[in-house]
Amino acid sequence: MASDEIVVDPGGIAGLAAPGASARESRQAIDVCAPDRKDAEWLVKPLLLAAALFSGLVVTVLIGFVFWRAWPLWHAQGITFLTTSGWDQQLEDAWNSGGRTFGVLPLLVGTLLTTLGAVLVALIIGLGCAVFLAELAPGWLRRPFETIVQLMAGIPSVVFGLVGLAVVVPYIADHLVPANSGDVVTEIPLDGSCLLAAIIVLSFMILPFFVTVAVDALRSVPRSYMDGGLALGMTRWRAITRIQIPSATPGLVAGIVLAASRAIGEAIAMSMVAGALAFIPTMQHGPLYMLLEPVRTMASAIVDTGADAADVPAISAALFGLASVLLTFSLLLSLSARWAFGYFSRRMNIVSSRRV
Amino acid sequence: MSDSTMTDEVIAFDDEFLSQLEGQMSVERIASEAPPIIEIENMGCVYGKKRALEGVTLDIPRDRITAFIGPSGCGKSTALRCLNRMNDDIPSFKMDGRITIEGQDIHGRQVNLTALRRAVGMVFQQPNPFPMSIYDNIALAVKEQRGRVARAELDTIVEGSLEQASLWTEVKDSLKDSAFSLSGGQQQRLCIARALAVTPGVIMLDEPCASLDPISTAKIEELLLALSAEYTIIIVTHNLAQAHRISDQVAFFLMGKLVEVGETRAVFESPRYEETGNYITGRFG
Amino acid sequence: MNLTSVSRRTQLSSAVGHTLSWLAALAVAGVCFFIVGYLVYQGLHSVSVAFLTTDPSPSLAENAGGGVRIPIVGSALLVGLSMLVAFPLAIATAVYLAEYMDETKLLTRTVRIGLEVLASVPSVVFGMFGLALFTLPAFAFLSSSGAQDASSAFGRSFFVAAIVMGIHVLPFVIKVSEEAIRSVPIAHRQGAAALGITKWRAIRKVILPAAGPGVATGVILGMGLVAGDTAIVWLTLGGTMTMATDQWWRPDQLLTVMRGTGSTLTTFIYFNSPAGDGNSPQLAFGAALVLILLVLALNFLAVLIARVQTNTGR
Repeated sequence: MASDEIVVDPGGIAGLAAPGASARESRQAIDVCAPDRKDAEWLVKPLLLAAALFSGLVVTVLIGFVFWRAWPLWHAQGITFLTTSGWDQQLEDAWNSGGRTFGVLPLLVGTLLTTLGAVLVALIIGLGCAVFLAELAPGWLRRPFETIVQLMAGIPSVVFGLVGLAVVVPYIADHLVPANSGDVVTEIPLDGSCLLAAIIVLSFMILPFFVTVAVDALRSVPRSYMDGGLALGMTRWRAITRIQIPSATPGLVAGIVLAASRAIGEAIAMSMVAGALAFIPTMQHGPLYMLLEPVRTMASAIVDTGADAADVPAISAALFGLASVLLTFSLLLSLSARWAFGYFSRRMNIVSSRRV
Repeated sequence: MSDSTMTDEVIAFDDEFLSQLEGQMSVERIASEAPPIIEIENMGCVYGKKRALEGVTLDIPRDRITAFIGPSGCGKSTALRCLNRMNDDIPSFKMDGRITIEGQDIHGRQVNLTALRRAVGMVFQQPNPFPMSIYDNIALAVKEQRGRVARAELDTIVEGSLEQASLWTEVKDSLKDSAFSLSGGQQQRLCIARALAVTPGVIMLDEPCASLDPISTAKIEELLLALSAEYTIIIVTHNLAQAHRISDQVAFFLMGKLVEVGETRAVFESPRYEETGNYITGRFG
Repeated sequence: MNLTSVSRRTQLSSAVGHTLSWLAALAVAGVCFFIVGYLVYQGLHSVSVAFLTTDPSPSLAENAGGGVRIPIVGSALLVGLSMLVAFPLAIATAVYLAEYMDETKLLTRTVRIGLEVLASVPSVVFGMFGLALFTLPAFAFLSSSGAQDASSAFGRSFFVAAIVMGIHVLPFVIKVSEEAIRSVPIAHRQGAAALGITKWRAIRKVILPAAGPGVATGVILGMGLVAGDTAIVWLTLGGTMTMATDQWWRPDQLLTVMRGTGSTLTTFIYFNSPAGDGNSPQLAFGAALVLILLVLALNFLAVLIARVQTNTGR
């Protein structure tokens, strides 16, 4: 049983490339069985159906509730929720004096920056790992390394955050933040919890998910393509980069989207290493400073605000507003993973209208 | 074994091709004076514990078509893959004996695997074009070999290779289409064109027509005959009539051993060994 | 023919490529080992029998003492309760999907898409969903209402967390179970049919036992997911260092405990990390070590079961 992929891939993306055909014929055999008798057994099918319906439809209840609780906010503010700033101050106002408006632009930017950065790093390192696992690893090393990747997928996010906080953040503070940073960036002290720390931690968190899907995608490229390249005198590596990876594009894209959806929703680790402020890092002092400035994501804002503050109706509406945005993003990503897979698959097998 | 009856049957079956062959064949052509391009000396190989070939000694003549024939599992494909060292990629594979190409031992220190595989090209049983356009299939092979190539020169090479493979007229207006839009026979000719584009000296084909219809097969056989004027061709085939049609020399393998090798007509009409005769007349297959 | 020379560029790019790939693999393995190793390094001296069996002593002083007994119990409770919620639903759905459902019907596609979407929802959103749903007065019985307010329930308790967590891991357990059921060899089914056994009987007596190890693997891995999640727990359970009652170990107090708040290993770590309010990093590391050992053990167990299954050829 392929217990390796399923640990990291509950959404079934890895299975997109390899549906099981034998399942159908196996099912047909049991349909030959006599139908359930008239005693208690006739209850079985409706009960199972009810369970399946519940499982399939509970997500609509979830979406409904979240958007219902977020509605007051959207109704009152509309798109300004996303286009204006001031989250930190507004939280305080709401807590103390009943303020009702919120602007989460910094959170939005924070989410985008951390996700894009993490996805980029995970893509590069992850692709290298996937090629290693699929092609270059010596036989005895393959299984152990697969286990390591699987293990990494199981490490809780709070552990990633803890180690990031204890190791990455101090390192950045001591070695990367220039001594005179206080003069350059005057708004807040750069203490190491920043965009860079967030990207480093997040990329290793999402990496196992991408690697699993990527390895599947690489392995499913027919051997004959590679053989053809090798017979033409291409070295192994050239065959991998010029034939195997391009041929695996559909699966690789799906993997990236999966990793991205995981990154967007990560709250705890971001809360611990990305910084305590809703701040938009900018290039005004150069790229290094941009990476060293703190950032906050939508997800981490939700956990940072805390459940207690959520009892204040205004804050609660804002948090649900954030949740609704996150939900929308993850829905879009989930759907686009499927679409992207289909699109790239079709593009690689274009059948010309001209046939001889 | 009755030689004349067998010859009559063969003629009746392959009328058009035999007449073509008779036009081309001459005694000088068969008894080539040039030294053989490939010399295989006492070659054997194993996959782990399983022995695949043993004591194979044979010469491949330059600019001729040599056919490897024999029943399934006899080792003919393995022998082919030894010549361009494709078997090296299999971990449990070991070869003993010597194979020299133009006097150079292919396992020698100075021989580069990449260069060897371009000099000795290979076409596979199932057509395996890259999942790219027709143009890019050939262009990629050329760029891998030569690095940066000017667009104009690339166009020339692509056209030349496709011409050599008798495919140019059929695809010249649709070079950007995916290679998968071609029929099986066309894809196979594309693979041949691709192999030709890296200027090999030897072209090896492993049952290239096994998955093709008779008309595509005929086209490819015609192509091979034309190519043999400039290239040495080795073809593994299950199809005895095909071997008889196009090859100059035939090598009969059986259970990992080379039983008999010689000029095609001679081997088919009067084989020296009983097993050869039995195989050719179809007593076993 | 040229058999000897090849452009240096090709060979160089090949060597570079191989090296980069190995480096990437090394980096990943390195990070993984580093994380575990660092936890051992930092947390080992905190962990002792006393550590595991003492309750945390809440205090504002840095590095307050105490152990992690309550968080451990909290984790165990949560894992148990969540699987209680998730398992029956998951196995029923998996059986239906594998045995009764017609792949071409719209209903099937709806259920599958619904599950796929459910799998993509982030933890935090689940947590918010829990808050939204279970603060409705109708659900007041699930959580002790601290405010004694009729218009809304408190909305945070073990019950609430378990229900939300159960739904969170549902798609995963369903997927694993369904695969396990589908991969039961066709021979079993044909044998059952030949004996004239009714469909449900065949499932219950033949298919499910055969799929047992696979399903067990899914459940165990699901437990790992529950044990490792923080966001849902933080939002729906809070991070209190104590349980609803001092005498939580008494069976008759179980319901009270379930309806109250508490903490799990994950929220304990979160709270006590330098980023949280607890400010007892040593405790956090100790707890993190316990947590990671727990997760490793669960993963290991799952792999063992899977291996037993392949070895006995079931």
